[in-house]
Amino acid sequence: MVNYFEEAKEIFRYRELLRNLVSRDIKKRYKRSALGFLWVMLDPLLMLLIFYVIFSGLFGSSTGKYSTYVMSGIILWQFFSQGTKVASSAFLQNRNLINKIYLPKAVFPLSVVSSSLVHFIFSLVPLFIIILFSGINLSFSLLLLPYVVVIVFIFSFGIALTVSTLAVFMHDVIYIYDVLLLGWMYISAIFYPVSILPDKLQVLLSLNPLYHYISLFRACLYDTALMTTGHIVFGTFFAVLSFLVGWSIYYRNKDRIVFYL
Amino acid sequence: MITLQDVSVQYRFITERKRSFQAHMIYFAKGKRAEKKTLWALRNISMDVHKGESLGLIGPNGAGKSTLLKVVSGVIKPTGGKVHTKGTIAPLIELSAGFDDELTGEENIYLNASILGFSRKEIEERYERIVDFSELRDFIGTPLKNYSSGMVARLAFSVATEADPDILIIDEVLAVGDARFRQKSKERILAFKNRGIAILFVSHDMEQVRNICNKVLWLDHGKIKMLGETHEVISAYETHQFERDTSVREKG
Repeated sequence: MVNYFEEAKEIFRYRELLRNLVSRDIKKRYKRSALGFLWVMLDPLLMLLIFYVIFSGLFGSSTGKYSTYVMSGIILWQFFSQGTKVASSAFLQNRNLINKIYLPKAVFPLSVVSSSLVHFIFSLVPLFIIILFSGINLSFSLLLLPYVVVIVFIFSFGIALTVSTLAVFMHDVIYIYDVLLLGWMYISAIFYPVSILPDKLQVLLSLNPLYHYISLFRACLYDTALMTTGHIVFGTFFAVLSFLVGWSIYYRNKDRIVFYL
Repeated sequence: MITLQDVSVQYRFITERKRSFQAHMIYFAKGKRAEKKTLWALRNISMDVHKGESLGLIGPNGAGKSTLLKVVSGVIKPTGGKVHTKGTIAPLIELSAGFDDELTGEENIYLNASILGFSRKEIEERYERIVDFSELRDFIGTPLKNYSSGMVARLAFSVATEADPDILIIDEVLAVGDARFRQKSKERILAFKNRGIAILFVSHDMEQVRNICNKVLWLDHGKIKMLGETHEVISAYETHQFERDTSVREKG
């Protein structure tokens, strides 16, 4: 246990590296595009447009409410999926450095998930614009938003550590995870209302951490009825579980990684 | 200072690297483990380098010199034995590994220094000195992809040597930049030595080793072949190489 903590202290000592990696990632991603940083906001808006055109008639709810529903789902899903997807190859991509200079290696997946967090925060701007246009009144449950973001972050970091460590020993993990994400998206109630699912499936949904996170996120923004103890307890539980599993997989293998890169 | 006690490093090679899921399953189904070849990159190395000492590492390719540096800098945990280092370590190993082509010189200074474990404050304190030593002030806002390789090496050398380390690890990097910068970097390393810093220096250039080191470790197939005074070890090494070369020539 003491040693687990030592490694965490090492990551803290390298926090300036973490900061530089995140800022490099953001700079590089938008430097050479004409619209630059606007893409952070345009991206979820365009996705919303697609879902809207395809599904809004199908589920027949009011325009404003459906837009907010889909948009919040997309943004939270992207935060998790983009972060963990890119992180899956974090060790492999940085093999040059890991092979030559001592670093607490976990900064690499951590920096990827952190970049994803930064993007998430920026994409809240278009989301709030949509909320304003829909005439939704924000409530005090918005105060719980930081907590929701923190548990999603911890959950994502745990998954990122697991996938990136396993990918060093078996490259297929990257591809498997990719496919997994695709399926995962469809069962996370992003663009359809949960009520269209048969009861049996609704029970299964409670095993999907992302369903809890997306529900909590929506609860913070506009649908206070979703702020249930169940979502909070399950959400927190999955975050802690994911982190403990990820950290122990990483910790047990961190000294072997360099031999397989 | 650095102390190595009976350090061994074993690399495992899987003859046919089974890395795919499918291959895993096939091996698993056949109930056998992948064939593994092992190689001892280092075998029972014991040595120490005290403050103010500089140890040269020589030996043919594949002798284990780089592995030894990696063990000391903490990149690799030894399979057996103990490594003990006291103080901060600055590695001058393939200097540009931590650079990013798309970023400017300034951004790269921050990135690279943070890779070496510096805090923001420490980098800011050293920033001006790094730029001055690299002589790249006019290009500091230019992306690295527009630098020449010599300029990149100069920048990297400047960052790494502003580290104020207790231990300096050098892997053949003195040949950076033009003749004048090479001279300047050599002087800087000698100055480190005079300041009482422990240096670990890998080179194939015996002239450089003579200039910098007061002790030399000759490695061969991961084992210590000889450890002692610089001129003794180097002359033994050169005689050995000469004899090997002539025997090869006679055989041929």
